[in-house]
Amino acid sequence: MSTPRRIVFVVAWWLLLSALAFVVRRDLVVDSDLRSFMPPARNADQKLLLDEIGNGPASRLLLLGISGAPPERLAALSHGLARTLRNDPHFARVLDGETDAVALDPALLPYRYLLSPTLDKVALDTTFLRDQLEQRVEDLSSPAADMLKDLLPRDPTLEVLALAQRWTPAKVPLTRDGVWFSPRGEALLLAQTHAPGFDPVAQAEAINALQTAFAVLPDFAAAQLTISGPGYFSVRVGESTRAQAEWLSAFGSLGFVALLLLAYRSVGVLVLAALPLASGALVGIAALILAFGSVHGITLAFGFTLLGVAQEYPIRVFSHRRTDADARTSVREVWSLLRLAIVSACIAYVAFFASGVPGLQQLAVFTITGLLVAGAATRWLLPAVLPVHFRDAAESRGLEPTRAWLAALPRPRWLPWLLFALALALLWLAPTPLWQNDLAALTPVPPALLAREGELRDALGAPDVRYLLVLDAQTADDVLRLSESISPQVEQLISAHAVDDVELPSRYLPSLATQRARQATLPNRATLTAALDAALQDLQFQPGLFAPFIEDVETARTLSPLTPAEFARSPFGARLEAMLVPRDEHWLGLATLTGVHDPAAFAALAASNAGQVRLLDLKAASEALIAQYRERILQALGVALLLLALTVAIAFRDLHRAWHVIAPMSLATLLVLAVLRISGVSLSLFHLVALTLAAGLGLHYALFFERKVENAAEARRTLHATLVCVISAVLVFGLLATSTLPVLRAIGLTVAMGVAFHFCLSILMAQGSQES
Amino acid sequence: MRLLKKPLLMRGELDYGGADKLGKRVEQPYRETTMIAGASVDVQREGRTPRRFSLDRAPELQALLVGFSALLGGDAVALGKFYTVSLVDKATNWTLTLTPREPALTKHLREIVVDGTGNESQCFSLHQADGDASVMLLGALAATKLADPPTLPALAEICHRIAP
Repeated sequence: MSTPRRIVFVVAWWLLLSALAFVVRRDLVVDSDLRSFMPPARNADQKLLLDEIGNGPASRLLLLGISGAPPERLAALSHGLARTLRNDPHFARVLDGETDAVALDPALLPYRYLLSPTLDKVALDTTFLRDQLEQRVEDLSSPAADMLKDLLPRDPTLEVLALAQRWTPAKVPLTRDGVWFSPRGEALLLAQTHAPGFDPVAQAEAINALQTAFAVLPDFAAAQLTISGPGYFSVRVGESTRAQAEWLSAFGSLGFVALLLLAYRSVGVLVLAALPLASGALVGIAALILAFGSVHGITLAFGFTLLGVAQEYPIRVFSHRRTDADARTSVREVWSLLRLAIVSACIAYVAFFASGVPGLQQLAVFTITGLLVAGAATRWLLPAVLPVHFRDAAESRGLEPTRAWLAALPRPRWLPWLLFALALALLWLAPTPLWQNDLAALTPVPPALLAREGELRDALGAPDVRYLLVLDAQTADDVLRLSESISPQVEQLISAHAVDDVELPSRYLPSLATQRARQATLPNRATLTAALDAALQDLQFQPGLFAPFIEDVETARTLSPLTPAEFARSPFGARLEAMLVPRDEHWLGLATLTGVHDPAAFAALAASNAGQVRLLDLKAASEALIAQYRERILQALGVALLLLALTVAIAFRDLHRAWHVIAPMSLATLLVLAVLRISGVSLSLFHLVALTLAAGLGLHYALFFERKVENAAEARRTLHATLVCVISAVLVFGLLATSTLPVLRAIGLTVAMGVAFHFCLSILMAQGSQES
Repeated sequence: MRLLKKPLLMRGELDYGGADKLGKRVEQPYRETTMIAGASVDVQREGRTPRRFSLDRAPELQALLVGFSALLGGDAVALGKFYTVSLVDKATNWTLTLTPREPALTKHLREIVVDGTGNESQCFSLHQADGDASVMLLGALAATKLADPPTLPALAEICHRIAP
């Protein structure tokens, strides 16, 4: 192709990619819910777990503290912030200690005799009423009289206050100027987001709204707003991971560009090298949009890392060009091996698809599409635009001595076996558990933030995010009955300090049976009037003052008991609604716990209730879930390795040569594992992904070294291409390995070390080119 | 008091411990001790389990007690924060009228009137928005023989109230 036509072709290719990029950008919906990287739930418990992780009320709570100013200022800021946030669509509930409506809906007032347990112990008779009325006289002579005066005629026994007390959590913060304060003197608030706790993007929006609301309050600058809670952590961790990854990738890319310039001495090559990869990436994203609708952020980040393999395709083409053949011929000569490498890599990624985890399936679709497109672009498009004039890589300075030195290295046959034995020994001696099931350990929250979280959670008496008491029964009312029946046992656990507080659903609404039983004990109008008259003897209350009370008791006698659905309309209804969850033909009651000190103590509670009550440890359950699907990935990877060996054997039609390719790849992977394990690293999903990537790169090295070549120049070209690939991979991933974040370090270290081992072992064991 | 046929009469002791510490002991017709320390109130009545509640649940009560405490402690700044203060005096007697500033408080409390002579407060009267009132006779006046039932004008007379 002539130079002008080539330029037109390259420009057209770029324009096409830009158009595709525009469409992709327009249609791309990035999803950030971490549950996409969890396997689909297989039973009710797992479904509950996935709902609760991030969606439960506890994980949607943001804990806020305002400090650094005099208490009155802090109280005013707290009030102001709460008022703004209550009108903000990001938040479902904002509490700052302001005396909120503990009162019942007026229409529900007569229900107080069915809801309050007071009359379970005493009857509404003269003795009880007399005692209560005497106390009211005393109340009227106290400064609190004014608050009670309006209530007394309707509620002389103060059942409404008894209910309010029952519904107040056991541990509430100190209140000053109507606002919660911590012992350290900071104003405290609780804000519940609509967004799930582990959707960092949606949480970031809510946190942004929160910070904006704070920053427009008068005199906000004098005070500091502290935010804590699971949602905030997921945002912070996401931000710091992204920031570090971007920095390190930018340095890596600069190094890569410099390396390409050094290796090929041409700026044009830089432009061309980017084309196949960019094509693969864009078509890969387009495929994801078509197949899944939305794309997970992690899929994109990981996908681009995995697609890095495709950078090798143009490099192989550049290094293997010969001056005595045209571009197409040169490409055709390496294509059979490249094709084999692409097919093998795709087989490995099919294993991720088989995992059944939506995030990994997306990753597989993206990587496989990307590799196929990048491969095809390298094979059929790239040759058309390669420059006519170029420098034969075989003539690079210093290459021949290096090749000769490598070729002359001793290759004792026992060395691989020794390494194999050594790797097994190291794996056997490894000091730590094989698997790291706690995904959070890879993206740890800074200890200072965690300590603050602990303080705020303690001061606010906010519920535990890890534990949940699950009550399982046939109907919602059965759940309430069960809740009532375990209440004494739960009280014992609280007094034994196994837990600070348990918020059972029956705290808010008794079962229908209990309500009916209470109704049955209420006296009729005549009896109550007589009892009240007797109780009022020589007390100075105005005659007829308590008529509304008699009216309410009479109403309560004939009410139909309050159902959860009806109760949902009252201010506390939302609380109960969140605690009662319908699930496949039966109902679950979710009781939140505060301050769990002894989880084991709940075993007896579960045992004595025939499995209807259990303590759900969200952390342990999610770890078990991860362990379970990792098994599936490992099985799939095992099958993939077999298929891969078969593919290579078929391609070479020679078991001996296939062994030369598979053996160094497997041994290098084993060695990486051994080094990681002996240095105390427990493996995670990220390590598996990184190992797969390294193995894909290693396969290239072994394949090309094993290739039979006719002359020393071609052997030099192979070495040139491989060196460019190895150095660039070690550079990019070695930089990631220097990260302070465990997840980036895991990927960087594993791939960089893997690439080095694969290269050395390929030199040692794949010897096709050297033998000829 | 509108809920009652006739006023309640009680006898007891006040105990001012400075700043935000205040104690009230009722001896007749029943025995009760109320201790206010900071934001929490402890009420102990003979033959009943003690109760403790937080003042923050009742902001209007808190304002009242802050006012009372500031008055006893002579803290004019704290007093001025919650009330407009007006003073009339004639010879050795004086009458101090406190009108609450905050709407939340005026809803319940019309005014607090303190009558005194020389350096001593003698009467402490709360007039509520709904017309109910309570009058506390302090020191020597506490021994005064009252009419049955006592009326507000009669009590004002005993306190040497000076009309504004």
